[in-house]
Parts: sequence; structure tokens; C-alpha cells
Amino acid sequence: MPPKCPAAQKEQLEKTMPKRILLCDDEIHILRAAEFKLKRAGYDVRTANNGEEAWQAVGQQMPDILITDYQMPRLDGFGLVQRLRANPETEHLPVLMLTAKGFELSHEELAERWNVIAVIAKPFSPRELLQSVNEILEVREPAAT
Amino acid sequence: MKLFAVNGSRFASLSSLGALTLSAGWAVAWSVGLFVPTGSWPVRLALLGVGVGLSGGCMALWIGLQKRRCLAARRHFEAICELDFCGLSIGDAMQPPAPLPTGHPLESVSRRLLDVYRDCIQRMQELKHTRTAWEIRYRRAVTEHERIKSIFSGLAEPILAVDDFGDLVLANAAVEELLHFDSNNPQQRALDRLVHCEKLVALFAATSQRKTSGRRDEEIEIADETGQTRWYRVTADKVTAQGEKDETVAAESGSVVAVFRDISEQKVLQRRNAEFVSAVSHEMKTPLAGIKAYVELLVDGDAEDEETQEEFLQVINSQADRLERLVDNMLNLARIEAGVVKVSKETRSLNELLEEAANVVQPAAEKKQIRLATELSPMYLGVLADRDMLLQSAINLLSNAVKYTPDGGTVTLRSRMEDGRVRFEVEDNGVGLDEEDCRRVFEKFYRVSKDKDMAGGTGLGLPLAKHIVEDVHGGTLAVESTPGQGSIFSVTMPDAGQLT
Repeated sequence: MPPKCPAAQKEQLEKTMPKRILLCDDEIHILRAAEFKLKRAGYDVRTANNGEEAWQAVGQQMPDILITDYQMPRLDGFGLVQRLRANPETEHLPVLMLTAKGFELSHEELAERWNVIAVIAKPFSPRELLQSVNEILEVREPAAT
Repeated sequence: MKLFAVNGSRFASLSSLGALTLSAGWAVAWSVGLFVPTGSWPVRLALLGVGVGLSGGCMALWIGLQKRRCLAARRHFEAICELDFCGLSIGDAMQPPAPLPTGHPLESVSRRLLDVYRDCIQRMQELKHTRTAWEIRYRRAVTEHERIKSIFSGLAEPILAVDDFGDLVLANAAVEELLHFDSNNPQQRALDRLVHCEKLVALFAATSQRKTSGRRDEEIEIADETGQTRWYRVTADKVTAQGEKDETVAAESGSVVAVFRDISEQKVLQRRNAEFVSAVSHEMKTPLAGIKAYVELLVDGDAEDEETQEEFLQVINSQADRLERLVDNMLNLARIEAGVVKVSKETRSLNELLEEAANVVQPAAEKKQIRLATELSPMYLGVLADRDMLLQSAINLLSNAVKYTPDGGTVTLRSRMEDGRVRFEVEDNGVGLDEEDCRRVFEKFYRVSKDKDMAGGTGLGLPLAKHIVEDVHGGTLAVESTPGQGSIFSVTMPDAGQLT
């Protein structure tokens, strides 16, 4: 058999590798619950406790999707999204926002101006979070567990 | 000519009188001559002389009488002409001056003249009454105007009135200061030129155009001369002069009067309320989110082994506890703020209270390998305090210090007497606070630098401690801090010895 070209090999490799998710929340139990559910679904999940940590994590390894809380110390979710959108390498990174914030948050502005795909309200369902992530990453079958 | 005419007339009258006297004398002489024999001229002439003399005397008597009547009439009418219509009463008119002789030919003329005179007096009296009434009304109106003006000027609330042409009618000092204009400027009366606030001008116009009276309320933000804005609720009402017959007054029925009420404080309270509700909601949702997520994981069978199930159940339990603490703290805070909490103050040993508080916090400190040092005064420090409440505030300050101090750090609790007051302080070598944090650290739900180690905080511990110390015990709670080096929360309270 003729050897596959490197591009095709890379594509094949990417298809078989689990998608990378970066989870960012200052509430450790929330982080743990979401991480647990997504890892069980086969995703490669990494965590950060605040926006600064998440920004550094993105710099080290680009995730396929970022799920972030809104209110966090040091750098909040909105500040993190602003930084991501200002950087050409991360401006198209899909972002899901998970928040307990109420009326003071403009979902429309987050979606239209900052390209946040969805805002999921806390308390949230890990099952629904997983479904949303699957839809965004177009994973029909859950990755191998 | 007139003089000549008068003299000519008098000459003619005298000539006529002379001829009449001679004729009468001749007639008398002739009549006497019929009965007396008249043979000689001297007799005849003597008779003629007697005749002329008799008739002349009669004529002179008659003329004298006529002259007297004329003089009486003249005096009568001259007296009437000299009457003062303004200064006499009706009674004066009933007794005319210098009455005419009875049967005088001008008596009827005089009577009619006096009737007219009486009528005039009566009308003059009526006019005087009317004038007096109007003068009283005018004085009352002026007094009323001055009174209203004085009330308006003295009112702290700004008040502004315009007529239906949009011109300024009334403005008190408060509104002049608020909208920066001078109402005494006669050159500029139009509201839309005096006031640079479109919403306000529009409110006046809309109210004025309404056909019925009725209040319109609008919340308007108005900037002062320094550019700082305040919120006002402006109540504009149309002034209708109902039942007013005077056309000029009726024409002003489109006038609008507006009262301004400063609602800036209310707005701030509304915003704080909304922020508080939002913060409470956020703080309650966070543990709820944990509970819901882990329950779902358990229900879905995601936790396969017992160890994981146990871990999830513990998280659910701890989050339920957190929710309970939050609700308890909120209720305690609300009770103290509302003043419904029962306070039983007694003189107590501060050091004993602080030792008890340190014992409560000790396990949490040990968990983080934090050294909890107590440097309490060897002296007895008496405080007049509610034991449970002061203990709660000491525990809150110590717990806060433990939360914000990194593992292996030190939290020190001190007490001493200072400037005649009892003082205790909690010092930590934790993350510290910047200037803004120090200013806002006692606000409800204000979070300085949250991290995973302080997930159990409710954001109400410090506000609660401040309320207990300051509002309930009349003390002070302050913070000093250097970012990166740590903070000192210090409480001072009146010495119990001074109070008793």
C-alpha cells in the first residue's frame, strides 16, 4: 500500500484523538462535576480556576472548546473572552459560558459581539452541557470511553 | 357787544318804565279830572304830578319786590352750583341750602335740579362703596400673591409654572438653582430657551396640550453645574380656572405647574436592592448548581464505584450546608438591620469570648496548617456585650482571616486596652487588600480575591460582624491592609467600666 501523505495522516490522527475541552470555574465542585461528565464522554478535559489560568492554558495547548464561568477572581469570564477575541489565533475558539449571573448579563451582546455560542445558566444539567458540547463539536457518537 | 346789549336792554327797559309811569300818571289825572272841576292849568298839572308820583311809587315798589325775588333765586342756584357732590351725603341733599321763596316761578326747576343732585349723590355713594370693595379685593390679592410667593420661595422642593404660551410664570429659588436660570430676567421668559433639558420642556408641552387636567409623572435626570446628575420625579399638572368668567384668567387655563422631587437616593436604593437580589441569587445558585449537578450524575449512574458515589454525596452535603449557612447569615443580618433581634447586654470578659471564638475556628485553621496565635491582654477587659453576637463577630473575623491566609500561614488574635477603649484585632499574613478592597470589604457579597480554598464563604460574614460591632454595640470595626502582606481587622468598644 502506498504510504499516506502527512496531511492525510494528521487529519486521520485528529479524527481519532479525543477533542480537547478547557473548563474554567472558581467553584471547585462545579469544575469537578463538569469535568467528570465530559471525561466519561471521552473528551480530553483540562481545568483552570480563573481567567488568567485559562488564558495561560490556551497558550500552552489550544482547546477545541472553552467552557468558562463568568464571575471569577483575577480575570473574569468576560475579560477572558475579550482577550481571546483580540488574539488572531484564538478569535474563533468556540466559547460556552456557564454562569449564575442574572439580568445584568446581556446574552445578546455576548453572542453577537463576542461570539459566545451559548450561555448556560447555573444550576445546570451536566447531561445537557454534554449535549451542547457534542453539538458544537459535531460529535455524533460520543468519543471512546 | 354783550355789554352793549345788556346796557341797551337796560336803557330800553328804563325808557319803557318812564313812558309807562307818565301814561299811568296821565290816566290817574284824567280820571280824577272827571270828578273834580278842572278849570285851571295849575290844578290840572298838580293832579298830573300827583298821578305820576303815585304810579311811580307803585312801579318802584313792584320793581323792588321783583328784584328781591331774583336775588333769592340767584342765591339759591348759586348755592346749588357750589355744592360738593363728593363730600355730602343723601341727608344733606334733602335739606337744600338757601331755599326759594314759596310760589317762586323757578320752584319746579329747583325741585328737579335737586332730584338730579340727590341722584348724583346716591350714585357717587354707590361708586365709593364699589371702589372700596375693589380696593379690599386688590389688597387681599396682593397679600395672597406675596404669601404664595413667599411659600414658594421657602420651599426646598423646586417648583416651576408656565402659562399656555410656554412662558415662565413662577419659579422658586430651588428650581432656579437646579436648572441654572434667573427668573427675574424680563427679556427671557420662554421655558424652552431658559431651560436646557429637552425631556422637561417636552413634559411641559405635553401637559399643556392636554384638554383635561391630570398629573403626568416623569423621571428626569438633571445635571448640575459641575456636570453631576441627579434623578428627579417631575409631577406636572395642568392648572384650569374652572368657572372663571374673566376672559384673561380663562385664557391662562393652559398653564402648567410642576413640582420636582429628588429621587436620587431612591434610585441608588433601587440599584442597591437589585444588586443585592442579584448577589443573593448568585450566591444561592452556586451551591444549588453543585447539588443539582451531583444529584444528576448519581441518578444517571455516572458514579460507578462506591468511592465516587461517596465523594458526590459529600459534595451534595457540603453544598447543602453552605446554602444553609448563607440563609442563616442573611436572616441574622436582616434581623439586626431591622432591629428585631433581641439583644441582652451584660458586662463580660472579652478575653474569655475571644478564647471561645479561637477554639471554634481552630479546626478550620488546622486543616490548612495555619497557626492560630492568641496574644490576649493579661488584664481583665470588660465589655458590655451580647455574648452570642460578639462571639459571632469574632468568629467571623477569625474565619475570614483563615480563609484568606495561605496554607501554613499565621493568624494572630490580640486584645488590649487602648485610649480608654477595649480593643481586639485579628491579623493575618494572607493575600491582603488593596485600597478599594479595604473600602468595600464590608459590603454584602463583596468578594476580594476568591479562590478554591474559600468556596465555603457566604460573602456576609464581614458585613454581619460590622453590624454587630457598630450598630448593636456602638463600637468600631476597621481594616488596615497591605496587598501581599496581610490584613489587620480591629475592633474597638467602649470600656464597660465607663458605661456602668
